[in-house]
Amino acid sequence: MWWYLRTRLAIWVLRATGRVIRWAALAAALIAAAPVTLVAAVGLAGAWLRAWPPARLRRAAWWSLPMTAAYLLACRLRSASWRALALAPFDDWRAAWHHVAAGQLVTAFALCAPVAVPAGLLAAAGLWAWRIYAIETGLSGKTATAPVIFDARQWRRASRAARGRVTAPGAFPLATSSGRVVMGATIRAVGHRWRPVAAVPYQALGRHQVIVGSSGCGKTNLMMRTWAGWYAAALAAWSRRQAARPLLVVLDCKGGPDARVKAARARVLLHAAGARRVAIWPDEATISLWTLPPTDLAVTLFQLIESGTGPAAYYADVTQAVLTLAVTAPPGPPASAAGFLARLEPGWLENAYARDPPGLAGVAAARRVLPDVNLRYRTLLSRLGPALDGPGTLADADAWYFILEGTREQSVAEAQAQAITDLVAHAVTTPGTEPRAMMLACDDYSAVSGRVPLSNLFERGRSLGVGVQVSAQSWQGLGRDDDERRRICATADGGIWLMRTPYPQPVCELAGTRRVIETATKVIGGVWGDEGSSRVQHAWTADPGIARRLATGQAGYLRAGGCTWVQIARPRPSPIPLPAPAVVIPPAEPRRQARPEARPAPVPPAPAGDLDDVFGQEARR
Amino acid sequence: MTSRNPFAVLGLPAQPDLADEDVRAAWRRIASATHPDRDDGGDPDRYREASNAYTTLRTPWGRSEAYADLRFPAPPAPPPRTPPGARPARPRLSPWRALLLVPARIRHGKPGRLTLRIVAAAVAALLAWHSGAGTPPIAGLLTGIATWLILTARGDLAPPPGR
Repeated sequence: MWWYLRTRLAIWVLRATGRVIRWAALAAALIAAAPVTLVAAVGLAGAWLRAWPPARLRRAAWWSLPMTAAYLLACRLRSASWRALALAPFDDWRAAWHHVAAGQLVTAFALCAPVAVPAGLLAAAGLWAWRIYAIETGLSGKTATAPVIFDARQWRRASRAARGRVTAPGAFPLATSSGRVVMGATIRAVGHRWRPVAAVPYQALGRHQVIVGSSGCGKTNLMMRTWAGWYAAALAAWSRRQAARPLLVVLDCKGGPDARVKAARARVLLHAAGARRVAIWPDEATISLWTLPPTDLAVTLFQLIESGTGPAAYYADVTQAVLTLAVTAPPGPPASAAGFLARLEPGWLENAYARDPPGLAGVAAARRVLPDVNLRYRTLLSRLGPALDGPGTLADADAWYFILEGTREQSVAEAQAQAITDLVAHAVTTPGTEPRAMMLACDDYSAVSGRVPLSNLFERGRSLGVGVQVSAQSWQGLGRDDDERRRICATADGGIWLMRTPYPQPVCELAGTRRVIETATKVIGGVWGDEGSSRVQHAWTADPGIARRLATGQAGYLRAGGCTWVQIARPRPSPIPLPAPAVVIPPAEPRRQARPEARPAPVPPAPAGDLDDVFGQEARR
Repeated sequence: MTSRNPFAVLGLPAQPDLADEDVRAAWRRIASATHPDRDDGGDPDRYREASNAYTTLRTPWGRSEAYADLRFPAPPAPPPRTPPGARPARPRLSPWRALLLVPARIRHGKPGRLTLRIVAAAVAALLAWHSGAGTPPIAGLLTGIATWLILTARGDLAPPPGR
């Protein structure tokens, strides 16, 4: 019995001694490498408090290497031998202890800093990576809920740090010199490379993108940043002759006073990004639907009106036949709405097709329905208003902001959206014109998507080489059914921006899952024990729980199976104006004809002779 | 033929966000003083110039256009396609001009924060200089402080124009 007890005691003493020796050795190593320990401790504390990822510490270590290089260079210049150079850090470390003994701590640290800073930061990065791994996998932490608490705390701190960072104006321009569109400060990167500033290659914005976020989540800021950033980066690429000149087309499908405010803000941003002419439709500029080629024009005019199914399809076919006759008549396509309506008269068509017997037979067959078709299109065109009746083409401005009153007059807005997308398609496909890099952004397109399904727009955009950006307030707003919604998101190869929304799961599914280690801890006697098991599980790459709780201005960028959570920086134009050529402007007349004309102002300037009408007798003082 | 700056003709600041009333008031003031029907014959040339300027600036769109004309150069002809292997043209902002813009970027950025940063760097550099640690460590420390200052001070500057 005594023998057994003595053996147990000896084993315990041996184990305790081993532990003490191990801790003593570790403490001795930490003290010996005190400068490295100090830097590592500061780095770890910073990472914990600011929720930096290990990559942040590694970057800091990398950027402190010039300090080491300068130190080694100076050592080499001072002593000619390589041996002295190799031993210089050791010599300085040894000298530092003498200064510590003399109470000169600053000198001691200065002697070791060139090597200790990168080494300490690198050590901190490794330790911090291990700490995160240990917590996430359940290897560390006092309670079983430690991973949850750790994750929530680190998210809070990372969000706070990102909110602070986006106030730095120079760190968040609209675009970088390397052609990336700056979006904001990275909060967390899952499956993506971590960078302090989240930026997207401008080419990605030239592909399809989807933005989902409920009202008041900061969607407008995000969209404006993508528009202005894309324009600035694309313009820079054009000036380097690496891409075509950019053209931005924005469809604001909600309309109302808010749309005017957004348009004015977008104009200021785009001017600062280098856009020369920003046209706001229909308030300030008009565009001509009648510039479409005759066959396209006939199809567009036909699609502008509702045509039912079943028996109504017969009348739809008749209408299409009449439109084709009117638009493709021998004198050429109509140049205005009035000209088009004048063609929907039997007399005009008979004259036009007088030398074309097959056409004349068609006119005779359609004679009975012409008044109905005329009435229908007269009503439609009067509702659409004069803003589609020209003059003006998309090429006349660098950016177009179309305001469609989708909330107030949905059917009109739908028809306008249809016409405008047709004009965009025509502008891209017309041979012989200047090729343009085009981005078509549709804000709240769900308001008018009844006539032109979003998936069609995406498909058309892809085939035409136009990047389409679509925003909706919810998953449901992206299309009429789940099939269409999934098709839209699945083709968004430019990425998906997910903002706060109550139903983010379908979007999060697109980012896929990642493998994580899940540790189950055994409960022994009502407390968490130190036994358990681990297994590989799958977790969301883009956590829907995070998406539901996102604060205003936060967004997740889903692309290529990864997700980067970003604090979007509010887009601000550079306060420094672009270089102006001179105060003299070139003659206006030739270019005024080419650019979209303003609507006739209600009060024209008084000609020379009628000053009295304008001013009364005061002008003749 | 070249036209003068229409904002200057009407005595208005060159801003795209002027109100209709401001433009109209400016034109009325000039027109009433220069109209050819005045007893003294007025100033027909000046009146014509002001009328043209008012025609340009009377709508928000017109003001935006004129402002754009003043601020940005006319769109150049589309550049020829880059032949395979050819080097792309230089970017618009030359390094020399970028350097000249630094004072403006400081002024429009966060000068207070930048000053604090510079002061902190200067204090650290002075501490390192007077630490008596020898030339190599001091050279290393000064390089490190300069690297930190350059990397972090960029955020305190306003973005360059066009970006």
